[in-house]
Formats: sequence, C-alpha cells, structure tokens
Amino acid sequence: FQIDYTGTEPSSPCNKCLNVSWDSTPPCTCTINFTLEHSFESNVFMYYGLSNFYQNHRRYVKSRDDSQLNGDNGSLLNPSKECEPYRTNEDKPIAPCGAIANSMFNDTLELYRIDNDTRTPITLIKKGIAWWTDKNVKFRNPTGDGNNLTALFQGTTKPVNWPKPVYMLDSEPDNNGFINEDFIVWMRTAALPTFRKLYRLIERKNNLQPTLQAGKYSLDIAYNYPVHSFDGRKRMILSTISWMGGKNPFLGIAYITVGSICFFLGVVLLIIHHKYGNRNTSADIPN
Amino acid sequence: CAGEENWVDSRTIYVGHREPPPGAEAYIPQRFPDNRIVSSKYTFWNFIPKNLFEQFRRIANFYFLIIFLVQLIIDTPTSPVTSGLPLLFVITVTAIKQGYEDWLRHKADNAMNQCPVHFIQHGKLVRKQSRKLRVGDIVMVKEDETFPCDLIFLSSSRGDGTCFVTTASLDGESSHKTYYAVQDTKSFHNEQEIDALHATIECEQPQPDLYKFVGRINVYHDRNEPTARPLGSENLLLRGATLKNTEKIFGVAIYTGMETKMALNYQAKSQKRSAVEKSMNVFLIVYLCILISKALINTVLKYVWQSEPFRDEPWYNQKTEPERKRNLFLQAFTDFLAFMVLFNYIIPVSMYVTVEMQKFLGSYFLTWDEEMFDEDTGEGPLVNTSDLNEELGQIEYVFTDKTGTLTENNMEFVECCIEGHVYVPHVICNGQILHNCTGIDMIDSSPGGSGKEREELFFRALCLCHTVQVKDDDSVDGLKKKQFSRRSCIYISSSPDEVALVEGIQRLGYTYLRLKDNFMEILNRENNLEKFELLEVLSFDSVRRRMSVIVKSSTGDIFLFCKGADSSIFPRVKEGKIDQIRSRVERNAVEGLRTLCVAYKKLTAEEYSNAQKLLQNAKLALQDREKKLAEVYEKIERDFILLGATAVEDRLQEKAADTIEALQKAGIKVWVLTGDKMETAAATCYACKLFRRNTQILELTTKKIEEQSLHDVLFDLSKTVLRHNGSLTRDTFSGLSTDMQDYGLIIDGAALSLIMKPRQDGSSANYRELFLEICRNCSAVLCCRMAPLQKAQIVKLIKLSKEHPITLAIGDGANDVSMILEAHVGIGIIGKEGRQAARNSDYAIPKFKHLKKMLLVHGHFYYVRISELVQYFFYK
Repeated sequence: FQIDYTGTEPSSPCNKCLNVSWDSTPPCTCTINFTLEHSFESNVFMYYGLSNFYQNHRRYVKSRDDSQLNGDNGSLLNPSKECEPYRTNEDKPIAPCGAIANSMFNDTLELYRIDNDTRTPITLIKKGIAWWTDKNVKFRNPTGDGNNLTALFQGTTKPVNWPKPVYMLDSEPDNNGFINEDFIVWMRTAALPTFRKLYRLIERKNNLQPTLQAGKYSLDIAYNYPVHSFDGRKRMILSTISWMGGKNPFLGIAYITVGSICFFLGVVLLIIHHKYGNRNTSADIPN
Repeated sequence: CAGEENWVDSRTIYVGHREPPPGAEAYIPQRFPDNRIVSSKYTFWNFIPKNLFEQFRRIANFYFLIIFLVQLIIDTPTSPVTSGLPLLFVITVTAIKQGYEDWLRHKADNAMNQCPVHFIQHGKLVRKQSRKLRVGDIVMVKEDETFPCDLIFLSSSRGDGTCFVTTASLDGESSHKTYYAVQDTKSFHNEQEIDALHATIECEQPQPDLYKFVGRINVYHDRNEPTARPLGSENLLLRGATLKNTEKIFGVAIYTGMETKMALNYQAKSQKRSAVEKSMNVFLIVYLCILISKALINTVLKYVWQSEPFRDEPWYNQKTEPERKRNLFLQAFTDFLAFMVLFNYIIPVSMYVTVEMQKFLGSYFLTWDEEMFDEDTGEGPLVNTSDLNEELGQIEYVFTDKTGTLTENNMEFVECCIEGHVYVPHVICNGQILHNCTGIDMIDSSPGGSGKEREELFFRALCLCHTVQVKDDDSVDGLKKKQFSRRSCIYISSSPDEVALVEGIQRLGYTYLRLKDNFMEILNRENNLEKFELLEVLSFDSVRRRMSVIVKSSTGDIFLFCKGADSSIFPRVKEGKIDQIRSRVERNAVEGLRTLCVAYKKLTAEEYSNAQKLLQNAKLALQDREKKLAEVYEKIERDFILLGATAVEDRLQEKAADTIEALQKAGIKVWVLTGDKMETAAATCYACKLFRRNTQILELTTKKIEEQSLHDVLFDLSKTVLRHNGSLTRDTFSGLSTDMQDYGLIIDGAALSLIMKPRQDGSSANYRELFLEICRNCSAVLCCRMAPLQKAQIVKLIKLSKEHPITLAIGDGANDVSMILEAHVGIGIIGKEGRQAARNSDYAIPKFKHLKKMLLVHGHFYYVRISELVQYFFYK
C-alpha cells in the first residue's frame, strides 16, 4: 500500500508545501487521509519512497568519508577530499561530511487511525531498521572522554542543509550521532533513482488483532524535504514481509525478461537448426 | 677478364696475410668482420627496452597498456591496479620465456664461436678459437669436422685434390659432393708448403646464393708474373658443411662470421598465425568497435541527460568549483575515456596468456605420443611452433611431395631394357647364370651379334656414366681383395638413382671399381679389368635432365655416354630401336618405376678436341658460366645412338596408402606435387590409392593443350566435372551414392604456368577460377613436373581461393621448403634428404604415416580444446 504525498496536484493537501525550502520554520505540515481496504496481519514496515533521486550518481556515491563515520577522530576534523564541496563550511569541518549526508531525508511522518472521528496514534518504532553490521561496525561515534556527544563533536559544524547538528538527531544516546538509524539507513545509497527506504516499524501488539485493521487512517507529514526542483516524487509505503523478505520486483522483472528473451531466442535457433542445419555428417568424400 | 668493369664490388684477400710482391698491386687493407656468429636477438643491456618494444607491438598488449595509462591519468571508476597487474604478469612471463630462449641462443653462439680451429701461422699449426679467425687465415680441417667459415679449397690429403663434403645442414642434401682444390696449390700437403704460398684472391662481396661464387686467385711464383686461375663454387667450401672421406684439407678463409653464406641465408621464419588466432583478432576488433561505440553512445547520452540543470546539478549533489570551470570538450573526452575504462572488461585480458599457455602445454601431447615415435630412426615428432596446433584439426587440403614423403627414396634397380630385350637382375643372377635369367625374362627373341655388342656397350655405359664415388676402406691396390669384397664396397653419390643403377649393374656382372688418376676401372663379366680414361664429365642438372661422360677406352676409342630422362634423350637420338624402347619406358612408368634412357655416341679425336676447347672456354668464364656451359652441353650432346633404358623402383613408405585413404575419408583433399614425370607420379598415386580403379582421370597436360587450346580443354573439363556434380546431388537424395564417380586431375608444370600466366586481355582470372572450379570437384589432384617455386605457387593459389581453406604442405627435401613455408601448416619429414625441410617446418614427423594420427586425432582434439577455451572466454 502506498500514498504519494508530493503534492504536485493542486487538489492534494500537500500542494501548499510543494515549494518548501530546507529551513522553513515552522515546518509546513499537511495531512492525508486514506483508507486501508485490507488489514495487515503481521508486522508492518513503513517506508518512505523517493523517485527521480539519483543516489547512484558517481559524484554522489563517492561523496562521503567512511573513516569519519567509523568514529576516526582524525577524519572527524579533517574529512576526506571526496566530500567536496560538502567538506567544510565556514572553515569548519562538516560532520558528517559529503553530499549523501547533506541530503538526508528529513520529513517526519506520523500515522493515526481514525475510529469514529477519534484519532489514535499508531506506535512507530524507530529502532531496528538498520543493518546490524552498519549500526555496530561501520558507523561509530567518535571516541573521547565521557559520553557527551556535544563535546565529542566539538570543532565540527553541521551539514549545510541540516536544521540541527548530528549529535541532536535523537534524544536516546544509543540512537544519536553517527549511529542514528535513520541516518544509517539514508547513508546506504540506493542503486536506482526510484527507491524506498525503511522508515519505521509497526509491531503487532497481540495475537487477537491485526497490526493494522482495515479502516480509515490519516498521515501527518512535516514537509521539509524538497523534491519538486528535480521532478521528484515522495511516497509513504506500508508493507509486510513474507518469509522471503520484502517486495522488490526489480530483480524479478529483470530475470523474467531476460529469461523470456533467452527462451525465445532458443526457440528461434532451434527452428533454424532444424530447418537449415542438416549438414551431411557421414564420412563420404564430399565433392 | 670480360666482366672486369662491372665487377666493382670485390674484395681482395692476401692468403696468409702476405703482401704481394711490390709493384704488383697497391696494398689496400680492407676491413673484414671477425668470425663471430651472432644469432641471439638481445644483449644483456638492450634486453629490457628491446623486449618491451617487441611485446608492445602486439596489438592486445598495446591496448591494455593504453587502458592502464588512461587509468593512471584520468579520474576513473576503477583503480589502475586492476588492469596494471595482469598486464605486468603477462609481460613478465613472456619476457622471461624470451629471455631464456635468447640465453640458450647465446650459449649456442658461444659454443660455436669458441670451438677450436687449426690454422697455420708461420709454418706451424696453431689452435685458436673459432671467433678469432680472420679473413686470409689458412685453416686446416680434418675429417668429420665442419668448416668454421667459407674457405677457398687449396689442397687436400687426397692426391687428386678433391674432397667430399655433405651440405646437409645447408641445403638438406645429405649426399656427398665433390669439391676441387685450386690446380696450382693442390700439391701442397704440409704446413710449411702451404705457408710458403704467395697468392691473392679476388672475389665478389658476400652474397647469400649458396651455389654461385665467382673469384680469381693470383698465385705468385718467385718473381714471375702471377698466374691467374678462376675460382668457382666448386672451390668454395661453405661454413656449416662437413668434410667427409677426406683426411684433412687446407683452405683460406674468405668470408667470415656474419658474412658467410650460411649466416646470410639464416633468416627468421615468417610468423604464421593460425586461423583461430586470426578470427580471435577479428572478434577482438569487433569487440573494440563495440567498446568504442558504447563509450561514445554513453558519453552522448550522459550529456543529453545532463542537459537539464536539475539533473546535472541537483541541490543534493553539487559540483565543486574546479569541476564547474572545466572545459566542456576536455570533460567530454575524459568522460569518454572513463567509459572506455569502465567497459574494457569486454575484452578479456587474460585470454591471450591462457591461450598461449594452453597451446604451449598442449604441444607436448604430440611429442609424448608413443605411437608417433619411430623406432627405426629413434626419433619422435618435433614441434617447432605451438601456435598452429589447432590448425591441424582444420586442414582441408594436404599438399604432399612424392619422393621421400610418399615413397621411401630407397631406389632399387628393377630391370633394364636393351634394344627391346628385357633383363631382370635377380639376386642369384650373378655373372655366371645371367644368360639363363635373361633367357627367361626376355620378351623379344634372342639378340643377334650386333645386339650382343650393344648389350656390352650398354652395361659399360651404365658403369661409366655416373658420378658415383667408391668408399674404399682398407684395400689400397689389391685387386684380388676387391674381388672378394666386391659386394661390400659402398657407393656414394649425390643421386640415389645412380647408386641403384651401379649396384644393379654389379648384379648383372659389371662392377665399377674406382676412379684412379682419371682412369675408371671396371670389372667385366669375365672378371677382367677394363680401364677407361675419364676425359670430361658433363654433370647432371635439372634443366637438361641428363648427364654425360666422355671416356677413352684402352683401345683409344673415345665414347660419349649419356643417360637421362626419356624426354631429354629421345629428341637427341638419331638411331636405335626407339619405338620399342619408348613403349617399354612408358609401360614401366605406368607401373611406378623411375626410368632413365641410355645413349652413346662415338667421337673422333678431332670432335673431342673441339668439344674440349668449348668446355674449357666455358669453364673459365667468370660471368654467366652456367649459361655458357649449358650452351656447350647442348652442342655436344646430340646425335646419339640409343642403347636402352633402365627402370628403378622407388618403394612406397610404410602405410602411405592407408594414410592417404584415411585422409580422403575424412574429407581432406590430397594433392601430390612432384618434380617427377607424369607417368611415374601417376603410378605412385595409383599405388598409394590416391587414384582408385574407378577414378576417372582428367588430364591437363602440355600434350593436350597442344591439341586443343587451353581454353577449350578447361571448359571441357569443367563441363564433365560439373555434370557429374549435378548427378551426384540427385544420387545422394535417392540414396544411390555408392557408384559415385571420382575424378582425378593430372596437371603438369607447363600447363600450370599457362594457367597462372597473367594475360593482357585480363581474362586470366577467368582461367584461374575455372581451374580452381575443376580442382574443387576432383577428389585428388596430381601436379607433376613442378619446380619448387611452382609448388609454392599452387599452395598459394589454393590458399587465396575464395573459400580460404586451411592448407598443409608436407615434404622432406630442400625443394619442398618453399611450399612448406607457404602453406598454413608446414610439416617436414625427418628423412633421408637432410633436415632442411624439418627445420623450416612447423612440425616435423618421422614418417608420412604419422600424419594420419596427427591430423585426425591430435589436430581434432587441439581444435576442440582451443575453440572451447576461446568461446568460454568470450562467454565470460
């Protein structure tokens, strides 16, 4: 199930937010109501999806400093050249540096269930959405005396587009700084211009009720992320996973297409072989 | 001398470094190279630059080098290490291999340059290293030693001033050749005498022709005017040849080191490339084009895509300042290169190395094969190049030599025909019971009185008319001893036919004993010694196809005996039973025997002196000596009286027929190219099942062309062949292919040159096409009377025909080398006629029968292996 909330159509409630900029305060908010036809029985994954966003551009992919993200103190204050032009701002090193970090998705989505005109918020879990290795191995906060992240990030500045520095991404210390899971998810770049990334989890509470019942819901959006300048689209996706994992039709489609072409060619070649391939293989002397 | 004025490029050599007497000529010291032979390609210092240069001339290596450099220079998506390392590996492995090979060559050169040579200094024998030899040194060579440089033969231990030499390593002829010492110096037998020699030699500057040499020696006796003597190739002992049957000789070095005729003839074989490699290269070029167009398209698309600013530089992905300022075209070019690098994996870098390794290791399968090993000679197959392994499996045409390849080149005297009476020597038919034997085998009635006389003359002619040498072992003068060891004495000659004839005549009762002081001694049927004085030898050459001797019998009669091919004898005969002998000769030829005709002529003393004068003049000529000699021979050899003919059998090689049959069954077309005459060659073809009983023979010979025009003959033949072809297809459809008609084509050299000759009206291509069309439809083709160059021409004709078939040439002699080098795959037989063919070939095998397994088993496997490997690489 997915909702496009870009707001390009004039009738869309988010149309007013279409031309927001990064630092609009307070953020432009809009609400979209929708109805679920079927209920979601098991755990639900909430994604945000972007279109026409080239996370696979070479200049973009390279534009990060992995050792900085791994907590290296040297790189923290002297980020890699690859981060240009998002390396320093006003002579202070940017943490985290680079185009990827700079363009981190920062819309806030909230989900409500509308039951007889009462809005019941649905609990969205923000932890457990990143890979274990990313969270524990690849991304680490800088080390130093004490656990005060503000002190540890001393001497760096926030990415240009961010409203607040990296050490204020979350209130919980194990989800703050570089190991913020939203950040980690964003830093894993997508291969195609249309992609989706895990945003929140909705867990099933008890066995009697489905996770999300069929019915009316509303989505509250704090619209911060501008996509209109590059013809992009934004979506919110609700999905469950089966035993095979989430739904990713790209590879399946690719395989089936190539397979069909191969099969078709095979048939064509077989016909050609049968029609024209009667070469004389006997040992007679050809004349 | 007539040719003095255009004899500018000459060198003067002072024998023993002695200056000529004052006033004779100004002493101009000339600089000559030392006797060092250099066959190695690199030295220690230039190895790395030269080797790298050679390696990067290969297109693939160069391509990867370029890619590597591009990766180093521009900002690329992949690191330069990924293409640099494999390239480095490839280059290093090849360099090590080539370096090792060159090191071996250095070692061989050193061994050659340091081997001891005896030469004379101040009347004493000195041993020195070969490389210190200089032009003008007097050298002594002992039996079975090879000559260290090109020498002028001064004297030998043999009294008559001759020596015997094999030039097997030069031109492949293993037979012993006679060389003659300079007349004025042949009497010097020891070091002091030789050292006292005072002479200068003038000769031409070195040139590679092995059989041509013109020079002059001036010998100074005391204060007299020097005596000038002509020098020819019979005085020149070539480096690389080996002294045989002569205890020692003295000679003066005239060409040394890299100027010797052998070194001048040393040439690197042209690189042959296999069809698979060629098609691989075509693939690579196609892939390269794909790569370039792909990179181009991608660059264009990139800029099309970027044309919208929000795509080129969206807010989330901005350019740096230098990037914005960069020149657009430069940027586009770097993008193009980056795409090239990105996609360069479409061309597999490791393929070349892997294919080369596979071929190199694969070639050992051939040498390891025990079935390819020949027990008689103790030799297995040799692989001179591993580049052509897979070609063996794709052969469509096999061009084979006849003598020595299909046949054993082991001659056996079968019969002789005198005046129409046939004599067959049997092993038991010695002098005593010869008459019984002839009585049995005679076809005509018994010979009359004149016949008897002719018979005697015939046997004497065969005994005398040859250039056979007798290898005398211990017996010096003992005639008795000779009689006992009559059968065991060994004849040596440049032609195996002659040996067979002399041995055959020996069985008929006449034994040739020896040549002593220009007297030929023969033992006749009654065991009486007859002596003939040998006056002149008009030696054999392949143009005249005959040889003659002029002898003087003890009674004082002068005879000219001539023997040669029928075609060269019959036109010169004025009497004798020509028709009977001709029919016999033709019958023998059909049976696959080599025939020779024998004729004689009685000379008066006056005629002889005329002839002698002519010969002497021609021999002394410095220029065009051969041409003049040929003219004189032409004058002398005429008006013969025909005596008879001989037949010699050339036995087929073991399993030759079986091999040819197998090859034909495998769909390979076998062509026989031979210098032999048509009848003999055709007989061999029948014997080895190239032609079968039901094969319809099409003839394209000079005789037929004389009757009709070439045009008509060709059209007739093609009509016959094509009609048959049409019926064949119908037959195969109705399943009646059993009584299929085979066609065999016989063509001779003259007819071929008519076809090949370019014509003014531009219709020559037409004939060639027609000829090829006929050939394609024949299951077997026999080309006879071919010169070595024509053999190569035929191979080339087929090679360049429109189907581009893969050809294979197989031969054993020096005359096959040109065709071996021309064909896609050249195979040499390690045979009797020396190793010239084997050395120039790509593969050498001991026997013709091994060709079957080589092509049908090894070649097939090689082809399957390589094609799977290459396909796998491109699949990867």
